[in-house]
Amino acid sequence: MRLNRRHFLATSAAATATLGAPTLLRAQPAEYVIGASLPLTGPFATAGQMVAPALRMFEALVNEDGGIGGVPIRVTAEDSGYIPANALANYQRSLATEPNLVMYFGDSTGFMKLVAPELRGPNARLMGSTSFASELADPVNNPYQYLPGPSYEDQFDILLQQVKDEGGSSVAFIFSNTEFGRDPIAHGRARAEELGLQVVLEEATREQGADIPTHVTRLAQSGAEYCILQGYVTGVWPQLIGGARQFGLPTRFMGTFWGMENAIADRVTAEAGPILDGYSGVMPYKYFYDPERGPVYERFAAFQKTAFAGTPLENYMPTWGIQALFSLTIGIEALRRVADKGLELTADNAAEALSELQDWDTGGFFGVPVSMVDNKIGTGRVYQYSAETRLFTPTSDWFTV
Amino acid sequence: MGQLLQYGINGLMAGAIYALIAVGIVSVFKATRVVNFAHGYLIMFGAYFYFTFAVLVPQAAWAPEWLQSWRPDWMIEMREGLPMFSPLAAVLDWLANGPRILLGLAGALICNALLGLLIERTLMRPLMGQSVFAMIMLTVGLISILSGSAQLIWTSDAEFVPALAPNTPIRFELFGQMIFLFGADLANMVIALVIFAAIVAMVRYTKSGVAIRATAEDQSTAYSMGISVPKVFSRAWVLASTTGAIAGAILATRNGISPALGLFGFSVLAIVLMGGLDSYLGVFLAAMIVGVLEALAQWQLGGEWAEIVPYVAVLLVILIRPHGLFGTREIERI
Repeated sequence: MRLNRRHFLATSAAATATLGAPTLLRAQPAEYVIGASLPLTGPFATAGQMVAPALRMFEALVNEDGGIGGVPIRVTAEDSGYIPANALANYQRSLATEPNLVMYFGDSTGFMKLVAPELRGPNARLMGSTSFASELADPVNNPYQYLPGPSYEDQFDILLQQVKDEGGSSVAFIFSNTEFGRDPIAHGRARAEELGLQVVLEEATREQGADIPTHVTRLAQSGAEYCILQGYVTGVWPQLIGGARQFGLPTRFMGTFWGMENAIADRVTAEAGPILDGYSGVMPYKYFYDPERGPVYERFAAFQKTAFAGTPLENYMPTWGIQALFSLTIGIEALRRVADKGLELTADNAAEALSELQDWDTGGFFGVPVSMVDNKIGTGRVYQYSAETRLFTPTSDWFTV
Repeated sequence: MGQLLQYGINGLMAGAIYALIAVGIVSVFKATRVVNFAHGYLIMFGAYFYFTFAVLVPQAAWAPEWLQSWRPDWMIEMREGLPMFSPLAAVLDWLANGPRILLGLAGALICNALLGLLIERTLMRPLMGQSVFAMIMLTVGLISILSGSAQLIWTSDAEFVPALAPNTPIRFELFGQMIFLFGADLANMVIALVIFAAIVAMVRYTKSGVAIRATAEDQSTAYSMGISVPKVFSRAWVLASTTGAIAGAILATRNGISPALGLFGFSVLAIVLMGGLDSYLGVFLAAMIVGVLEALAQWQLGGEWAEIVPYVAVLLVILIRPHGLFGTREIERI
């Protein structure tokens, strides 16, 4: 066969395609994408709007550190209105439009449960969220989803143990009539029985606009020494405590993660007086103002000082933001470990890397090294609010459940 | 018996606030035949105006110090040594907030009245003579506008405001049972009932009230009798906005403020349907029934049922009397 110009070009193109294909396929993308759904509107918009800038900071800092295996990341956030179906639609849109989507951040327990059956094969991505729902810590059925701290059930365990240690004998559970509110109630009842504590009241309330006098009356009649509040973010819980204080009830109030934001406690104190004095609860992370904050918080603080000047985030990061940042940090750490091994950033590889996070120094989110066990990090400590200092300060050491 | 009374009173206190919210919906409907789906969001604006004038303005650098906290010497002397949650301390703390509470109420009333007027003049009046359905759909659209605007102006942050009345605990024994009431809730109930009664008296006995009733009967006839129907429309919207401002301030003191406050209006719509869209007496009774049923369901069945039981009652009433308890029955001839 005579080699003319046409044959030569065709043969060269075929050879280049054959030899170059594996290289092209293994080529790193220009960027990795991390998607997120946030409640920028709706009942939890307060939290969502504070978390949104934190994600921008996260993107900038991860990229300063070389992204994932040298590839920069891009964080995209969309509004869900705290409606799980909207968040699911956001996730599906991200899958369809972002070929390099490697991780997703969800904004509710409802979304995480809704999306779980979809996380199969090519639709699976590593997924953190705002939720501490106990059901999500299930590596067998949900290998790609993880909790960035102890589950609500764990947090109830910690609080009930605290009640027991303080010599208490009766406890009331007041919770919002939502999935979020009901999550640890059955477990808490069982755990209280194990500890010999009497659950004298289980009271469901509206998530917003609860009838405070009726709930406080029920609490007063129950005679509970302790009351654990669950399933609220900004409303209801301060009014319940205020009502109980006005009633002169000696009940000691406790809360879980979402009822422990210092900024909210400060606003309540400013308008209602020192009603939250002595209120305590579980917080997995150090508060941003912790005098012994580690290098990660110092870095955040330096970034916030310039990037968020003139906003509430200039000198403070709410616990909601810290939770989101830590949740994403877990994901990035897992993905970096996958990249370091030279493996593809698939959800399966990332999920496997999750379980390798043992005795991990988080750089200051926690006061101790933490481990990912059953797709959750069961570490935290109890903090108490002082109306005088207007700060939550630790009343226990770090513990792991 | 004592327990029943305790929860009954709690329910009546909640019911009075429902009635105050409902009165705005009924007033607009009576005058214009428009069911205002955005009423909850008017209330939310009232709450935010109260927050602006009772919290933000007194905190401003240019505001006098007494506006933020008025503490004359005699008050400081009296306050010293009192336990934090004693009744007298609660009254004194409330008095110290007196100037900003008054400013907050005045600001909320004026600004919400202007907002109601603006909505009526720019959105509703151009649709006069058109289908009522178009006006109703416009109020649905208004929900998005008001909700979005509130987030743009005040952000979505949850905020807290000073109570309208001292929240002193009130205790007394009845049928061998200690009854507990909150002073602020009792005052809220009295405020709601007085305003409700004043509006009903106004509609029944004043010239403006007669004009509203006449317009409600037949707009064309009212026009031909010399009644300025556009003015009646304006008055109805201003009335709804001002009562909404007070309702908003009360709700804000009970539950704090966030844009989610607007959703409260929807649950009251069901109460209005139960009472009868054009009946003040009907919605008053419906509001009290729902309030009491909610409290009793909470007491006997728990919170899971408290949100369902009252609205099952609403549904039953509407099934039996589609025009509500005291609403005007409309007969259409085909």
